[in-house]
Amino acid sequence: MVRQIKQKPMNWIERLYIFEAFRGLWTTLKHALRGLLRYETLPTVPYPEIKPEISRTYRAKHRLMLRPDGTPRCVACGMCATACPAQCIFLEAAPSEDGRIEKRVLRFDIDHLVCVFCGLCVEACPVDALRMDTCDTSYVFRKREDFVTPMYQLMSWDPKDYPQDDLQSQMAPGGTKNKQALDAWGLKVN
Amino acid sequence: MMEIIQSKHWVEWLITICKFGFAFIPVIFILLLIPLERRGAGFIQDRQGPNRSYFKIPYFGRIRLFGWVQDACDGLKLFFKEIYSPSGVNKFIFSIAPAIPFAIVLISPCVIPWFAPMVFTMGDEVIRISGQTVDSEVGILLLFGLSSLSAFGAVLAGWASKSKYSLLGGLRTSAMTISYEVCLGLSIMGLLLLVGSFRIDEIIAWQEANVWGIVAQPVAFFCFLIAMIAETGRAPFDVAEGEPELVAGFHTEYGAMQFGLFYMGEYSHIGINSILVACLFLGGYSVPFVTTETIQSNIGISLAVLCGIFVVAILAFLHLLYRYARWYKKSAASNKQVILREYSLYKILGWAAVVVFAAAGVASALFFHPEFTVIDGQPVYGIGVALGTALIHILVLLVKAIFFCWIWIWVRWTLPRFRYDHVMNLGWKVILNIALINLVVTALIAKLLGGI
Repeated sequence: MVRQIKQKPMNWIERLYIFEAFRGLWTTLKHALRGLLRYETLPTVPYPEIKPEISRTYRAKHRLMLRPDGTPRCVACGMCATACPAQCIFLEAAPSEDGRIEKRVLRFDIDHLVCVFCGLCVEACPVDALRMDTCDTSYVFRKREDFVTPMYQLMSWDPKDYPQDDLQSQMAPGGTKNKQALDAWGLKVN
Repeated sequence: MMEIIQSKHWVEWLITICKFGFAFIPVIFILLLIPLERRGAGFIQDRQGPNRSYFKIPYFGRIRLFGWVQDACDGLKLFFKEIYSPSGVNKFIFSIAPAIPFAIVLISPCVIPWFAPMVFTMGDEVIRISGQTVDSEVGILLLFGLSSLSAFGAVLAGWASKSKYSLLGGLRTSAMTISYEVCLGLSIMGLLLLVGSFRIDEIIAWQEANVWGIVAQPVAFFCFLIAMIAETGRAPFDVAEGEPELVAGFHTEYGAMQFGLFYMGEYSHIGINSILVACLFLGGYSVPFVTTETIQSNIGISLAVLCGIFVVAILAFLHLLYRYARWYKKSAASNKQVILREYSLYKILGWAAVVVFAAAGVASALFFHPEFTVIDGQPVYGIGVALGTALIHILVLLVKAIFFCWIWIWVRWTLPRFRYDHVMNLGWKVILNIALINLVVTALIAKLLGGI
């Protein structure tokens, strides 16, 4: 549908320009005085020293969820690597010692130079082992190889940095201490 | 030779030589204008402006000086860049052109009076020193002539660069300077008619005796201000270097310090023009509602009031500093310690300055009661009073000039650039006519009321 926007013709005061110019000057003066007298209320932040607020739902650097015994929750199904449009996830699987799970993950690398942060890997994961809620948006390295984040880095996160009222974001069920995690999740099994 | 030297007292010689230092005031204005422009632009656009450059002081830390270090950064960067010129340019004109606007600025403040004529007794002699460096009868005409010479810099640069953009920019500059010189000269004619003199010190004396020029000639003030902004070639009249059309206008082919000279010439031109507007329409060095005689007879109180104004200004600054430091302490900044350490230095200096100025003000109010001798029915004081009055006058003039500098920046970051034909229309069809009508009306009223 075409929407026509009618421009209001200027009246003669506006066409004189000089009064409108003074109105503009008054507007900019207000902004300048705000910067001078209320410097701390400026909307910009001095970036590297003060970080902006980033929402938990923002798709930032990945992390691998952990079970209470410290092993990754990943079952090495490879669905994330399949879903990845940039093909930046590399994983290797090995037979699991846990009888309930078929495979465990040996190697899980994400190349963050290639990653497009689309979040499809998180959506694809059948066991919610991969999340992108670290709020870590700036990571700078000297070499290209350093951007390939290995599994131990994806696993090295601190539960204290995540919302305390959401226990599912802090530990995953499974492993040798499964009961503890299920208690925390509120899933009692007999 | 000895006769010339002995014809004046040594104090007179000393002050006369020191007055040459006033030639550098517009150049010092550059140091003020760079942070004023860049941070002022930032504040107007709700940004913070450049505030990250710092000096490292050994055993103390970093000081940022609220962005004033940016002066040094801009200057050093331009200074240490390689100077080169495109092939095929006229080397001599190309390299001489940037120096012209900057050199003019060193000459043009010579006719500006920085303080009321000093009259004081030294021993048995009565010494009289005028406020301007060159005591010329033509006064303001000399200043106009010199400041319109600075267009030569742009024109020659445009001609020598062998670039279409530069040539067009130079053409536009010359056209605009010629148009607005006419408006500039005609708009102050009304004021000159009332005063009856071209000398700036007499214009200021008239304003001190009657009313400020902005009250007597408000229309002329606006015409003059607009023509002045156009003459410095700043927005909204910067068609000569309009980026969307001409890359950078006449200084397209310049880099490094040659560009820096254009830049500094423009800024010091703003400085000298602000001082001129302050002199012509805002009473120059005269303190509002107070005559020079009153200041001189109550010099102790006057200096105390000056110190009081300093104390209030520093306290206001400290208030802002304390409030910002309190906010910064609560924030999650990673460089909190560095910044707060710098602020603690300012707090110490600020409180020390408050104590010093308060003590100086009280002391001068209580103990500065100078002797005077009556000559021709006028009280004449010693050199201390003369220097104190001159100090107050210079500071008052500089405050007025800095206010006008802010107007230049404020207008630049508010109004969009005019199209070239609009600039010409405004100059020739509007401002010129308003100035002419203003002149005629002023002449009529002056004839009817004053009978000049």
